[in-house]
Amino acid sequence: MQTRNLIAALVLGTAIAAGLALALRNAGETAAPLTATILPAGNELPDFALLDQDGAPVDRSVFVGQWDVVFFGFTNCPDVCPATMTVLGQAKRELEALGQDPLPRVVLVSVDPERDTPEAMARYIGYFGNGNLGLTGELEEISKLTDALGIFFQKAGTEDGIYGVDHSTVVLVIDLQGRFKALFSAPHRVENLVHDLPLIMAGE
Amino acid sequence: MRLMRRRFIMFCILAATGACNSHDGPPVVAANVVVTAPAPGMPMAAGYLDISNHSGTSIHITRVSSPDYEAVEMHETVVEDDVARMRAIPVLEIEDGGTVVFERGGKHLMLMRPAGTPETITLNFYSDEELLLSVSAEFTAPMD
Repeated sequence: MQTRNLIAALVLGTAIAAGLALALRNAGETAAPLTATILPAGNELPDFALLDQDGAPVDRSVFVGQWDVVFFGFTNCPDVCPATMTVLGQAKRELEALGQDPLPRVVLVSVDPERDTPEAMARYIGYFGNGNLGLTGELEEISKLTDALGIFFQKAGTEDGIYGVDHSTVVLVIDLQGRFKALFSAPHRVENLVHDLPLIMAGE
Repeated sequence: MRLMRRRFIMFCILAATGACNSHDGPPVVAANVVVTAPAPGMPMAAGYLDISNHSGTSIHITRVSSPDYEAVEMHETVVEDDVARMRAIPVLEIEDGGTVVFERGGKHLMLMRPAGTPETITLNFYSDEELLLSVSAEFTAPMD
């Protein structure tokens, strides 16, 4: 009787293990991004000349050599920008906790260069995590990047003269070769980024 | 996040709207008050809360002020076609029995130019010169 029970347990255990293995294999085969749109072939970035948060000049090569998640916003933005930067920072921390390698860098490109000096960018991006990159500079140079990537921005005045900036809310993913590889549309959720970014980066 | 919000000091000063109040309690009530801390050196902060009107009649919030900020404006972020546009709300109407929610990515209070280095922020909501509601909250991190 005991032998029969043992055999039954072994058969049941084997069946469960096989089922789990099959499920995991199928999950791997059908893994698809939840919200990201992945470009089949990465798009080259245009030439531009901007400043990083330390005031050092950078060109498009600043995007080569690591994965980047890039948001276009401004430091005087009270609502969407801090929320998005927080989501990106939180997603990066969760990916790190999960052992993701490589980890993407979080990048903020200013759409308000009039107020966003490198010093302001340094204070701002440092607030949302370590290792972040902030880019600002001449409006014409920022526009080279935004025009090529389909990013919209436009100053919008308020009644007392303090202006805001209407701007795109997408988060772009730039690959190791500095190519525009994928994008996330708002609303941005940590769990979606944590799920999709490893898939995007594994497709390199 | 709701649990975190409970950490905030919040109190409502009763609002005499001058109208019949069929609700057991203050006629205008705030909940889930959050003021997100600005990044260092930034002159802007954002405020979020729910405002419920139990006054027995519609109320119109025409301005918001704070002793802790030079200016407070009611704004709304509208995202269309992946573009965020922020627009001022000159007058906010809340029908009797209604609740208006200020939340991230939607209606929010924009607090501009801090007066000193406040730790607790007080916000006063007016209908013209009539004080409808007063709330206070401590700063919180953007995602709390």
